[in-house]
Amino acid sequence: MDNTKNNVRLTQPHCVVIIPAHNEERSITNVINEIRELTIFPVVVVDDASTDDTILMARKAGAIVVPLAVQLGAWGATQTGLRYAYKNAYSCAITMDADGQHLSEYLSVLLTPIVTKEAEVSIGTCTSRASVLRKIAWSLIKQVSGLRLEDLTSGFRAYDHRAIKRLATRHATLLEYQDVGVLAMLHASGMRIKEVEVSMVLRQHGISRIFYSWTSVIYYMAYTLLLSFSKRGMTYKQPR
Amino acid sequence: MVSLVTGIIGIATAIIIVALIRKDHLRVRYGLWWFVLAGIFAFLGLFPTLIDLFAGYLGIAYPPILALIIAIAIVVIKILLMDIEHSRNMINIQRLTQRIALLESDLREMQGESNDIKPNSNQSGLGDVRRQ
Repeated sequence: MDNTKNNVRLTQPHCVVIIPAHNEERSITNVINEIRELTIFPVVVVDDASTDDTILMARKAGAIVVPLAVQLGAWGATQTGLRYAYKNAYSCAITMDADGQHLSEYLSVLLTPIVTKEAEVSIGTCTSRASVLRKIAWSLIKQVSGLRLEDLTSGFRAYDHRAIKRLATRHATLLEYQDVGVLAMLHASGMRIKEVEVSMVLRQHGISRIFYSWTSVIYYMAYTLLLSFSKRGMTYKQPR
Repeated sequence: MVSLVTGIIGIATAIIIVALIRKDHLRVRYGLWWFVLAGIFAFLGLFPTLIDLFAGYLGIAYPPILALIIAIAIVVIKILLMDIEHSRNMINIQRLTQRIALLESDLREMQGESNDIKPNSNQSGLGDVRRQ
């Protein structure tokens, strides 16, 4: 990886990188190494009750490991990381996938809206990675939920401290996916969400966590549409 | 008349489910089940003759009984699924309780018998666990 262009590692803002991981022993080391090469941010791997050597590999690569006793799913693990960020008073938290789809070289791009205070949440979008079917699904979900975002399922995000605090609460617990439910909640809380264009690597091995069978796709669509419809146009009456 | 009541119950249920999900009081997963049920009720309410049709195919003399049987069957299945999930939750809770106890014991050992630590205090600091 060519580092000569940018020898200065990212230090601002006061950030932690959260990586939820379930059985990602093969890719986790590289992901952590890349982050540590380009930034001084601590890496927290939230292990979602993996049965392989994910925890071992993560520790070896120098990450802080938060080992969940029970499998909570991608969002449950992510929220654990966000609670860690809140508990340790980080001003910003970045979420990345453990499978190498998200590239550390785009971290500075991702953080820009947060640093410039243009938004409370920044999403790294890569709409070219979606298949036709997925794009149709997104379009439908956008219609029903009223959310005006392009890449609804991207897990490559940065949250500022207000977003962290909001997502660490009970209201965000028991969501089953980290996309629409989370975004709708942030939107309803008055948070500004900005999307930035990034590139992503296509999934190397393993199958998609959500779309691995027809029943899971149907469940995901039913779940997401009902949730989107229920949360439409909502604003939380909460003090900021 | 019955069909109108059924239809209204179906629609009312659907509205209540959406409201509960909106307020984060009901998990969407369960809401889906109730929503589908409400849909079936509303549908049957709008097309009551369908029950007569099915009852005819099955040789049931009194069609409304079929609707009742179906409703009871759905409720029984739902209760059974709830018990299965409840069992799983109980297992998780028990194992988590054990793990926390072991962690607290480790922590105390690592900190040594410090004067600051009161016996039976909640060590985690996250404050969201009640003593049984």
